[in-house]
Amino acid sequence: MNEHLLTLIVAAPTLAALVVMLLPAGARSAIRFTSLAGAAVSLAGSVVAFQTYDKVAAGLQRIESYPLVPSLGVRISFAMDGWTGPLLLLTGIIIFAGVLASWKLQTREREYFVLLLVLVSGVFGVFVSQDLLVFFLFYEIAVLPMYLLIGIWGASHAVPPAGPFRFVWKRFAVGDKEYAAMKLTLMLLIGSAAILVAIFALYVKSGAESFDLGHLAAAKYDDHLQIVLFPLLWLGFGTLAGVFPFHTWSPDGHASAPTAVSMLHAGVLMKLGAFGVMRVGMVLLPEGTRFWVPAVGAVAAVNVLYGAFCAMSQTDLKYIVAYSSVSHMGVVMLGAATLTTIGWDGAVFQMVAHGIMTGLFFALVGLVYERAHTRSIPKMGGFANVMPGVAAFFTLACLSSLGLPGTAGFVSEFMVFLGAWKSGHTMWAIPGVLGAFITAIYVLKATRAIFWGPGPSEQFHELTDARKTEWGALVILGTCLVVLGVWPRLLLDHIDPGSVAHLSNFLPFAVGAK
Amino acid sequence: MNDLRVLWLPLATATLAVVVLLLDVLSPPAHASRDRRRPVIGWVVVAGLVAIFAATFFIDSSGTAAFGAFRGGPWSTFLGRLFLAAGILGALGALDDVAERMPRRQGAYWLSFVVSLVGMTILPGARDLILVVVAFELVGVPLYVLAAYAKTDPPPDAPSSKGLASEAALKLYLVGATSSAITLFGLALLTGMAGTCRIDALAASPMTPLGAVGLLFVLAGVGYKIGMVPFHHWVPDTYQGASTPFVAFLSVAPKAAGMALLAVLFTFGLGSARATWMPPIALFAVLSMAVGNLLALPQTDLRRVLGYSGIAQMGYVLLALIAADAFGLGMTLFFLAGYVVTNMGAFLVVHTTARAGGGFGFEGLAGLSKRSPWLAASFLCFLLSLAGIPFVVGFWAKLYVFLAAWRAGLLGLVGVGIVLAVVGLFYYLRMLRAAYMTDAGELAPPKPALALRLAIILCLAGAVGIGLWPGPLVDDAMRAGHDLLDGRPMAATQQHDGKTELARR
Repeated sequence: MNEHLLTLIVAAPTLAALVVMLLPAGARSAIRFTSLAGAAVSLAGSVVAFQTYDKVAAGLQRIESYPLVPSLGVRISFAMDGWTGPLLLLTGIIIFAGVLASWKLQTREREYFVLLLVLVSGVFGVFVSQDLLVFFLFYEIAVLPMYLLIGIWGASHAVPPAGPFRFVWKRFAVGDKEYAAMKLTLMLLIGSAAILVAIFALYVKSGAESFDLGHLAAAKYDDHLQIVLFPLLWLGFGTLAGVFPFHTWSPDGHASAPTAVSMLHAGVLMKLGAFGVMRVGMVLLPEGTRFWVPAVGAVAAVNVLYGAFCAMSQTDLKYIVAYSSVSHMGVVMLGAATLTTIGWDGAVFQMVAHGIMTGLFFALVGLVYERAHTRSIPKMGGFANVMPGVAAFFTLACLSSLGLPGTAGFVSEFMVFLGAWKSGHTMWAIPGVLGAFITAIYVLKATRAIFWGPGPSEQFHELTDARKTEWGALVILGTCLVVLGVWPRLLLDHIDPGSVAHLSNFLPFAVGAK
Repeated sequence: MNDLRVLWLPLATATLAVVVLLLDVLSPPAHASRDRRRPVIGWVVVAGLVAIFAATFFIDSSGTAAFGAFRGGPWSTFLGRLFLAAGILGALGALDDVAERMPRRQGAYWLSFVVSLVGMTILPGARDLILVVVAFELVGVPLYVLAAYAKTDPPPDAPSSKGLASEAALKLYLVGATSSAITLFGLALLTGMAGTCRIDALAASPMTPLGAVGLLFVLAGVGYKIGMVPFHHWVPDTYQGASTPFVAFLSVAPKAAGMALLAVLFTFGLGSARATWMPPIALFAVLSMAVGNLLALPQTDLRRVLGYSGIAQMGYVLLALIAADAFGLGMTLFFLAGYVVTNMGAFLVVHTTARAGGGFGFEGLAGLSKRSPWLAASFLCFLLSLAGIPFVVGFWAKLYVFLAAWRAGLLGLVGVGIVLAVVGLFYYLRMLRAAYMTDAGELAPPKPALALRLAIILCLAGAVGIGLWPGPLVDDAMRAGHDLLDGRPMAATQQHDGKTELARR
C-alpha cells in the first residue's frame, strides 16, 4: 500500500463515488458516510505522504508509473516534490470539511456527492501528475463537474444590471445559476484549449516522444517559441487562477455555487490554475517567462487592487468573498512573478493559506445564508448576539484575509512582498501592500455590518449558532489558519526545497536579482 | 484458396445476407391475427455479426486476392471490425423498433442492412477502381431503401412527422445518386489520366489538369456521402426524417466507409499528388467544423443538433486524414472508432427518450436525470465524448487528430479546430442542461427494451473503456495506418506497373 500511496489518494474519492453510485437513492446516511470515508482516506493519505516526505533529500519521491498510451509515450506517472505535500494536505482538508459542510443537503444527494468526489480526484491527480498530458486530463476532470454542480445545486438570485453596459447585461440572466455555470465552464474550457495548443507544441518540439515533465523541462526550446507559448499557458491556466481580465467567471460562479462547491472551487481549484502557471509555464519555459514576467507581475498587481476595489463595493456577502479571492489570487501570481525563492515560497504558502481561509469564509457564508435566507449585507446586523461561534470564526477568517500577524495570511503576504522587493521589480510591492490595506477596509466593514453592532432585527431573532458537523468544518479550518500563522515552518520546510529545485532553470537570473 | 482466406470477411458477411434472405423467404407468413412477429431475423443478424466480429480476431486475412483487386491486412480488418461493431450496435438498436413498426417487412429490412455491410467490408480493401465503385454502390443503395422504410407509419412518439421519412429518403437518394454519378465521372477521369484502374498505379502517372478535375469530382462525390460542407445539406433533414435507430447507424458507418475510401484513394493512391488535394480538403475541413458547430447552436430538434455535430466531427477527421502519414491515418481510424460508439449511443438515447413520449425536442430530455439516472449518465458520457472531454474516448480522438495535424505542420487548422471545439461545447452542454437541470413534468421514465438497452450499454462501455485505456486501440489503429501506407508500391515498381499497363493498352 505504501508504494501506491499517491494512487490511493487520487483514487479513493473516485472509488467512494462508485460505491455511492451503487447505493439506493434513499440511503441518505450511507451516502454521506461513504463520501466522508472517501475524503477521509485521501486526507489521511495526504497526511502520511506529507509526513514521510524526506525534506533533506527533496526532489521527486514516491514515484509511481504506469503506461497509458505507450505509442505516444503517455504514462500515468505520479510523484511528489516539495510543493506537492502542502497542496495535497490543503485539498484533503478542504474536501473533508466540504463533505461535512454539505451534510444537510436535501436534493439529489447521490449525484451531488458523486460529482464532488470525482472532482476532488481530479484535483489530487493534477497535484501529483508528472506527465503533462495526464496532468491536463486531471485538470479537465477537476473543471467539468462544476457545470452540473453549480447548475443543479446552485442558487439563483437577482443581480440588478448596473454600470455603463447594463443594457447589454440585461439580455443575460446575470445571477442566474445556469448562466453562471455556463459562463464558468466555457471560459475555463477556452483556457484549456489554449493550454492544449501549448502542450502539443511542447510535445512536438521537444522531440522526446514523451509528455514527462522532467523530459520536457530538459528539452531546449528556442527563445522565440517560448515567447509565443508562455502566454498560452499563462492565460490558459490563469483563467482558472482568476487572472485579470479573465476572472469574470469567478464572482458569478462562486456566488451561485452551493457552499461546498464554493469552498472547493475558491479554495482548491483556483490554485490549480496558479500551480499550472508555475509548474508548467514557468518551469518549462524559462526564457518565455523572463520575457513576459513584467506583464505577469503587472497584471497580478492589477488583480490585487481591482479585486479589492470590487469587493469593497459589493453588498452581496458571497460576491465580497468571491472578489476577495480574485484579489488574493493576485498575491499568488505576484509571488510567482518575482522569480525568487522567497517569492515562490510565499506564492505556494498563499495558495494553502488562502485556500483554507476562503474555505472557511464560504462555509460561514453558507451557514449564515442557510439560516437568514439572505446574503444582502444591508439587511443583516448584530448576528453575533445569536450566533457567537459563527461570528468568532468569521472574524478570524477576516483577520487572516487582511494579513494580521499570527495568521496564515500574514506569512504568505509578507514573503511575497519581500520577494517582490528582492526581485528587479520593487514597484510591485506597493500595489500589493495597498491591496492588503483595502482588504482590511472591506472585510472589517462587512464583519461589523453583519455580526457586530446593535442586535438583529426581529425577523432574525430565531437564528441559531452552528451545530454538530458544521462545527467540525469550522474548527478544522480555523485551527489550520492559526497553526500555519504561528508555525509556518511546518509547510515552508517542504515548500522551500521545492521552490529551489523548480527555480534552478532560472539560476543566472535569480541570482542576479538577489 | 488463398483468395478465399483474404476475402473471407466480405464473403462471410454476404453469407449472412443469404441466410437472412432464406429465413425471410422460408419463414411462414405472419398470421393475420398475430400482428406482431418476434424479431427473430434481427437476432439472427446480431448473432451472425457478433460471430463474424469474433472471427476477425482469429483469421488472418493479409495478402492480396482477385488478381490484386483486393488487399487484406490490418487496414481492412480494422475497418471491417469497425463496420461490424456499428452493424451490431445498429441492429440491436433497431431490433424492437423494426419489429414493432414494420412487423411484416422485417426480412427485407435486415437484408438491406446486411448487404450494405457487405459493401462496407469490401470497400477498405478494394484496390481497383471498378471494385471501389461496386462496393460504394453496394453500401449506398440499401441505405436509400432503409431511410424510406418508415414511410407509411409515423413513429408512435411523433405523429406529426408523418411523411418526413419519404422526404428524408428522397433527399438521401437524389443526393446519393448524384454523388455516385459525380464520383464515377471523377474516377473515369482519373482512370483516363493513369491508363489503369489499379489504385496503386495511379501514383505513377504525373498529375494532369484533367486528373486534378477528376480528383475534385471524387472529393465532391465522397464529400456528399460523409456530409462534408458544402455537400452537407441532406444530413440534418435525413436525420430528422428517417427512423432514429437507423439514423444512428447511418450517421457513423457510411461516413466511416467514405473516410476509408478517401484514405485509400488519396493518401494511398494519390499520395504523391498531396499538393493538389490537400488545399481543397483543408478548406472543406475548416468549413465543416465551422458550419457544423455554428449551425448546431440554433437547432431545436435533437436529431438536427446531432446531425450538425456530425458534420463538425467529419471536419475533425479530415484534419487527421490530410496529414497523410501513417500516424494521421491511424488517428483517423481511432477517431472513427470512437465516433461509432459515442454518436450511436447519443442517437439511441435520443430515440429512447423520444419513445418515452417526450418527442425529439430539447423538452423531450426534461428531467431525464430523475426519470432514469443511468440513461442520463450514459447520455452525459456520450455528449462529453463528442465534445472531447477527458476520460471518455472522444477526448483522445480529438487529441490525436489535432496532434496528427500538428505534426504534419497544419498549425492554423489545429488552432481553428480547437476554438470551434469550444464553440461546440455550448450545444452539448445545452443538451446536458435539458437532461439534468429541468423538471420532468408529466414525462414517464423511459423503458428501453432489452436489445436497445444492450446497445446503449455496449456504447457506454466502449466510450468509457477506450477513454480510460486507449493504448491497445491506438496501437491497433496505428498498425492499420502503417499497413495501408506500407502497401504503397515503391516508386520503381509503380513506374514499372504503369508502363506495363500502358503497354497492355
